[in-house]
Amino acid sequence: MTGRKVAVVGMGGAFPTCKSLDDFRDKIFANQSLIREWPEALKYDKKIRSTVAGFITEAEMDLEIIYSTLLENYPETYADKKNRIPNINLATADIGSIWAMLGTQDAIKMAGWSTEETQAETTGVVIGSGAGGNVILRNAWHNFYELGKKTRLAGSHSVDRSMPYREVANVSCLIKNRGVAETIGSACATGLGNIGHAYRLIKFGLQDRVIAGGVEGTSLETFIGFDAMQVLSKNFSAAESSRPFDINRNGFVCGFGSGIVALEEYEMAKARGANIIAVIDNYFNNSDGDGDMFYPSFAGQQRLWKGLLNNNTLPKPDVVKVHGTSTPAGDAIELLSVVDTLGESGYHISAPKSQFGHMLGAAGSVEFITALLMLQEQKVLPCLNSDNLNTELEPFQLQPDWQGPKKPFSHYRHLLPKQSFAKSINRIVCLNYGFGGTNSAISVSKDNHSQSATRSPLPEAP
Amino acid sequence: MTRQEVIDGLVEILQTVRTINQEKLIGVTDETDFIADLNTPSTEMINIASKTEQKFGIEFEDDEIDGLGSKVKDIVDLILKKQAEA
Repeated sequence: MTGRKVAVVGMGGAFPTCKSLDDFRDKIFANQSLIREWPEALKYDKKIRSTVAGFITEAEMDLEIIYSTLLENYPETYADKKNRIPNINLATADIGSIWAMLGTQDAIKMAGWSTEETQAETTGVVIGSGAGGNVILRNAWHNFYELGKKTRLAGSHSVDRSMPYREVANVSCLIKNRGVAETIGSACATGLGNIGHAYRLIKFGLQDRVIAGGVEGTSLETFIGFDAMQVLSKNFSAAESSRPFDINRNGFVCGFGSGIVALEEYEMAKARGANIIAVIDNYFNNSDGDGDMFYPSFAGQQRLWKGLLNNNTLPKPDVVKVHGTSTPAGDAIELLSVVDTLGESGYHISAPKSQFGHMLGAAGSVEFITALLMLQEQKVLPCLNSDNLNTELEPFQLQPDWQGPKKPFSHYRHLLPKQSFAKSINRIVCLNYGFGGTNSAISVSKDNHSQSATRSPLPEAP
Repeated sequence: MTRQEVIDGLVEILQTVRTINQEKLIGVTDETDFIADLNTPSTEMINIASKTEQKFGIEFEDDEIDGLGSKVKDIVDLILKKQAEA
């Protein structure tokens, strides 16, 4: 089924160390790292293994925690120093939901949707997150279980501030849309999964406009869980700690943030003269089907590419925005599955997690925004810190049943830019994967790609 | 503690509830209705009751909270009753 064409018409979000989307744009194309030593983790000394993160504080978002006078350390609500969000909406929101509302405001403003369009029955909200209101629950439970306080002292909002679809609920109550309001959860593919679901809602005629994306509110619980798994980067300086594809990579860096986009049926957007940031070519998702919760699947990713490219009816991309977590196994399988699909030349690979870490539930949506920015800027974002590539084969490449490429990482140096560089970009594929073997991919293009199908000569990556 | 002192204490609590329009807290009397006059979200009433317990050093029974009316005089009566019982 062909369905309707879908345009991206707005974007917004919360990004570590950045005051705005433009600030984010400037920093990432200047090859900066947004990763810092995290005081919240450092407080716990040797109890926590990794100490770096792409975190965002309340003050950096011009927010202030209003602590309860009834419960120890319980954020009763937040104050918005810039008066962007009404207090009635702040009362029902955890920090991630506030970021979602702020990103939504920016995305709708950029989209130019009228109040009537925003509040229509054909406007939906589809946003997800990886974890669940930890800062709220941590203190509510502590006061009940450990300090013996009554349940009512936590007030009425521990449920709406921690439920899985809290970002959707808060955004929907803020903008008062009358269409679909729901969330998709797919671990670290959540951000892209929600955008993909929103795309399908419009493509198949169920909605005309959708606010979509992913959020991961700053939370030590989220960090601790991964720290316990021994999968977080350690022993590098903060800026060098996220290093996808580098031979010395030893784990990912936890990131926090939010990425929200406004999607709209293409002809409607065009008819009202909207600034069309990009057009979504296709979205595809699948599962590994091998029963492994954690280990990536080469076969699963091969099937993902096949589905995305619709048996090669979709032109191949100029840039692949990879999941690129900086974990030993994840990067290895992913690079080889990309090469297996696209060959050894004709495109470049961008790994934005090298600059701001792995935003988990927000990763797919913030990285989708980086793809939109690459289309706008006509520049490829780097694989920062990919300094040294393995000159030997990965152990699994030596196994007799390995069916993928049989060359070492160093052979693909030309695909992995260490710095941002200018390039004519018409199409970008974004990839994200999650625990449980879930895989998501989206292809997004400049609006004029149909008129400029011929690619410019491809420069070598710096 | 006089009735007016209790009302004044109650207004101090309401001043910490950010979802209440602070301009409406001028001239609060026994007859002021939390819901109808102050537009207090119903979900905030339990927060106000809990803060009242803390401020006045009293503890409400669950049934007393369940049966509480929405006017200022309802909670003032309950506060004075609990203080008298103490």
